[in-house]
Amino acid sequence: MNRSIVWQVVAKDLFFMRWMIVGAIVAGAGALAVMPQGRVPGYVGAVSLICTLIVLLIFLVMGPIVQERKDKVVLFVLSLPISTTQYTAAKVIANLIAFGVPWLALTIGTFAVVAMSQIPDGVLPFWTAVMGYMFFYYCALLAVGLLSDSAGWHAASIVTGNISVNFLIPFLLARPSLKGNMEGPAAIWSSDILAIVALEFALGIIALGAAFHVRTRKPDFV
Amino acid sequence: MSDAVIDLDGVDKKYRFFQLSDVTLRVVPGQIAGFVGPNGAGKSTTIRILMGMIRADRGSVRVLGRSMPREQAAAKWDIGFVSEDMRLHTSATVGWHMRFIASIYPGWDAAYADTLLRRFNLHAEQPVKVLSHGERVKAALLLVLARRPRLLLLDEPTTGLDPVARHEILGELMEVVTDERRAILFSSHNTQDVEQISDQITFIDRGRIIDSSDKETFLDRWRRLHLEVASGSLPPTFPGVVDTVVSGRTAIATTRAFTAELPAAYQRAGVTVRQIQRLTLEEIFVANVMNNRGPQ
Repeated sequence: MNRSIVWQVVAKDLFFMRWMIVGAIVAGAGALAVMPQGRVPGYVGAVSLICTLIVLLIFLVMGPIVQERKDKVVLFVLSLPISTTQYTAAKVIANLIAFGVPWLALTIGTFAVVAMSQIPDGVLPFWTAVMGYMFFYYCALLAVGLLSDSAGWHAASIVTGNISVNFLIPFLLARPSLKGNMEGPAAIWSSDILAIVALEFALGIIALGAAFHVRTRKPDFV
Repeated sequence: MSDAVIDLDGVDKKYRFFQLSDVTLRVVPGQIAGFVGPNGAGKSTTIRILMGMIRADRGSVRVLGRSMPREQAAAKWDIGFVSEDMRLHTSATVGWHMRFIASIYPGWDAAYADTLLRRFNLHAEQPVKVLSHGERVKAALLLVLARRPRLLLLDEPTTGLDPVARHEILGELMEVVTDERRAILFSSHNTQDVEQISDQITFIDRGRIIDSSDKETFLDRWRRLHLEVASGSLPPTFPGVVDTVVSGRTAIATTRAFTAELPAAYQRAGVTVRQIQRLTLEEIFVANVMNNRGPQ
């Protein structure tokens, strides 16, 4: 019976996040639509796509996770017949779905746009690594949101995350396997790019798993 | 096997600047237990320990026969919790919250919920974000009352409410325990509210339970005696007298253990007892706290 309540809490959270999910998909789709329109629109579309995901991940963590604790809505949810561990699990599942659906849709959308347009397939490894980084950034911010009530930590994490994207792109473009192949007709999935993508996913999952472990073992939940 | 709905025994919880020490508390079905203490006394911490939200460092915590926080999910099926600082989802309506709770609890009484909605002058289509503090508390209470839990844990629910809202809420709470299987633990620093509805009262101050008894016993054993003493002399001190204030030939003695023997003892000591007054619960509470704290 308690398992079904976890899913009811997940459904409740997704209901409250529905417009963020829809908004991110619509904004991301708009960004993808302008990408094949030339070099400058392509740049604008790429930046808009990254910004859409960053805005989404910040809203998802700061709203349903951090603000719910700050506003003491957490007391209402914890009055339901679920344990503090189940509550945390429900929050993480709902949040992962709310980010994962637009993130996956826009990743698939990026591949589709590249496949159907004049954009060379050589950019696909680059975009995979960028999307992988968005996943890592989201997981890291969610981990901070789960563990800390400090506005300072949240602000520092967001600023660090946003700035890090500015380092990520030149770092990726400097990879020898990408450097010469971005304009190429075929995607070159070199070992260093695959390692970067694997590292992004692994670090994201580790950060989130560690935060979940620590959060659910805290003696004081509120 | 204990029949208590709340059984706290020797509970400790230590924070950097506050400590809950050796808290023992028992509430049985049919009782409205008032839990009274000044701000920062440990009322909310105790109630959150009962809800499984905070883990005690030491001691036993059993609610509805279940060990907390280990069995909190099972226990909370039959607990209704409302606290003064609890918030509902601001972007949803009162009606959405009612449907959400109804979807979880099979015992949700829709007819009673509608009655409470009218009685509290709430509207299902009202968004929570436009509710006043009093309306928000009433909405939260509606959500727990309409599922008829066996135990209500209410953490300062009447704080900040106007007298009419307080009257409405206290009236509903008194109706709850017409069912003798149900019980309420009601924390407040407003002794008037507690005096009005509670039959059992526990005082807490600085993390320690300082007194606990049924209301009638409290009101019976605390008295203020107006004494006349010889000029310049002090009245004798008897067991249970917690405070004596002397001004000229008049003295006022406050006792926590009044019996008919006390005035007689004063008379025998040459002190005339001019008047014996009962104390209000607020006066008892303040005298109890000050006596417990000792000279500052």
